[in-house]
Formats: sequence, structure tokens, C-alpha cells
Amino acid sequence: MATRSGFEKHYPEVFEKFEFVTVFDLLIKYIKEGRIKLDKTRFKGPATYHDPCNYGRKAQKVFGHGYFDEPRWILSQCVENWIDLYPATMNQICCGGGGGTLVNSYNEERTYYGRRKMDQIRATGAGMLVVPCHSCHGQFNSIKKAYDMEGLEVKYLWELVADCMIV
Amino acid sequence: MTAKDIIHMNELDHSRFKSWGFSQDFCVTCGLCSSSCPATGIDGFDPRKLIRMLSLGLESEVVASRWPWICTLCAKCENVCPMEIDIADAVRRVRSLRDRDKVPGNIHKGLEAALETGNNLRLPKDDYVFILEDVAEEIAEEPGYEGFTVPIDKKGANILTTIHNKLVNTHTEDLKHWWRIFHAAKEDWTVPSENWEGTNWAYFTGDDEAMKIMTGRIVDHMNKLEVKTLMWPE
Ligand code: SF4
Ligand code: SF4
Repeated sequence: MATRSGFEKHYPEVFEKFEFVTVFDLLIKYIKEGRIKLDKTRFKGPATYHDPCNYGRKAQKVFGHGYFDEPRWILSQCVENWIDLYPATMNQICCGGGGGTLVNSYNEERTYYGRRKMDQIRATGAGMLVVPCHSCHGQFNSIKKAYDMEGLEVKYLWELVADCMIV
Repeated sequence: MTAKDIIHMNELDHSRFKSWGFSQDFCVTCGLCSSSCPATGIDGFDPRKLIRMLSLGLESEVVASRWPWICTLCAKCENVCPMEIDIADAVRRVRSLRDRDKVPGNIHKGLEAALETGNNLRLPKDDYVFILEDVAEEIAEEPGYEGFTVPIDKKGANILTTIHNKLVNTHTEDLKHWWRIFHAAKEDWTVPSENWEGTNWAYFTGDDEAMKIMTGRIVDHMNKLEVKTLMWPE
């Protein structure tokens, strides 16, 4: 998000010269081209998925495309049993770790911020939360204890893919 | 700020932020933003108040307040704003008005480190390369990944990647996921030996000049290493 905005503002010429891929595009490409093979039986679920603000709502506004369907398709290639949070996509609730709050020392505020998100996750009954964002990943691991959800496994989307790969 | 704080009428300056293009003056004080914001109520914050303060030109109050740093820039508020006010961008702009040594926590310090050394941790190049190679050796010991190495500064590679600083700090295990995938997919990829920072904390501190420098380094890598594709860092 920051890098792409920076390029568009300051270095628009790079879009003529180079190609760009998101983590989602690349994973989808590998899966569709058969370059990686996934075993769907390793994780029984139920799992759930959190839409990061920057890949979703903000990308939709700034770049005209929010990455909502792509991660869900990838997740479906890895786990049969997963449940969406409610609300999700454009109405998703932020994890509370965005905007630099993970490193600005406002830890109490950041933990409190996450309460609605943790309620949503609890309501799905999922034991695994899949996220495609370093900030969200850090935030969930940081606050889950405060919400008595230490058993929640927080997994990067690409970590899940790597763990499902048949090599 | 609390209700007890008194605003002096002579401090109001409607023209103060006139040049800011976030449509802040169109606010109809409906409060939809505040209803949708998960941070409403924290330390008296809510986005409607902040937007009104901008419209009224209460500069010193809004810049000194903790509010812009409680907000996560998540944009949930502006998604429901009937006047299409760019609330998150306005908050980020307010952050930019803080004296840099008063930016809370580590965000400005990390950014300063990145500007000076190429990464938020001030991690020297030798240590960084050692960590990458060490993790690569661990992968090479796993069945199916024999012969795995990390292609640092590989000229002409298809894909350029960057590194989130926490992956060469406390979370080195998390370097392995993408590396395993690249290996299995037989991808031709690379990672830079210097200026490898994948985060851009200038986005958080509101510092556009630093943002330009940080993104410019990635452009330099793409040109120098003659890569075909960039995998967006975040
Ligand atoms: S939703 Fe928009 S118009 Fe309504 S109070 Fe918030 S900023 Fe003002
Ligand atoms: S961007 Fe800030 S003000 Fe708006 S909903 Fe998110 S946390 Fe609240």
C-alpha cells in the first residue's frame, strides 16, 4: 500500500518498465499453473480469514481494486472448512494494529481497539485465523491472551500455503 | 481533550486548513463515522470531533492530542461518510505536523534508522547476510529442499522481494514460508543485500519526503538488479 502509493506519486515511470505482483496474484499463479500442489486434508478447520484494511477497503478506494476474492480462493485451496467473519470485506473491522499502532507505544489503546474483532473471531468458533499482513499477524498474537483466546492459531496466508504444499 | 476544556472563540481559524483537500469542511456532523469507528471513546476520541477541529482550525489542540495516533487509519469511518471526507488521510496529515521528536513510540526512530542505515533495526549488512544464509541452511536440511540457497543480489532475477524487519529480528522462522514456496515453484527470485527494508513507516508518521526516499530505494534495486517484477512488500 505505502510502496504502491509512493510509486504512483513519485515514480510513475516504473509502471511502464516493470511488472508488479501482489502476494495473492503470485500464489494464485503458482497454484493455477500447477507449480505448487496443495493437500487440502492437512488442516481440518474450522478456519477463518481477516481482511486487512490495506489490502481490502483501502486498496479498493485508492487503487480501485480491493483484494477480497483472491485470498478467499487461495484459502479454499488449502482448507475445506472455513467460515467468513461478519461483517467482512468493505465493512470489515480493523484488527487494531494498523497505522503504526503496533510500534507507537499506545498498547492499552491498541488492545482495547481489538475487542470487536476478537468477538467476531470467537463467534465463528475457528481455531485458526488466516491473515495476509504482518501488522495484523503481530496484533492478533499480541492481544489474544488479553481476550482469553491463547489457543487461536494465527497463520500467514502464505504460511498456510507452504504448510499444505506437497513436496 | 474533554468537555471541560474551553475553546476560546478567538482561536478559531476557519481558513487554517483550507488548502487541505480532504473535504473536511463538508462535514455535516452526522456522526456516522464515529458510530462505525472501533476507536470511538478511547481517550475521548472520535473522528467527527477530529474533523470538526480541522474545519475550525484548532491546530495546536489537534496536533498535541493523542487522537491521531490512536486511530489506525483503517478507513472504516470514511467508508460510511455521506460527504466522502478523506478522514484517514486527514489524520495522517495531522500526524505530519507533530515535531518529529514528539512522534510517539518507535515509529519515527525506526524510520530514522531506515533512512540512515537502510533498515529499521540498524542491522549491519554482515549480520543480515549471516541470518539469511543461516535460515537458508536450515531449509536445505529439510526433505524436498535439498540444495536450497538464498539468492542475494541476483542480477536479472524474475522477482525482487524485500524483507519485513521483524523477519530478521525475532521472527526468522517466518522467512521460510515464501522461500519454500519459491523453491517448490522453481521461481527465479532475489533479495537485496542493502536497503532491504520492506516496511515504510513514513506512511505511519505522515512523512512524505521520507516515503519518497524509501520507495525510491526499491526503484533503484529494480534498475540495478535488472529484475522483471516486484513483489509488493505489503
Ligand atoms: S461521517 Fe462524515 S459528515 Fe458525518 S460526522 Fe463523520 S466526517 Fe462528518
Ligand atoms: S480510520 Fe481512524 S477514525 Fe476512521 S474508523 Fe479507523 S480508527 Fe476510526
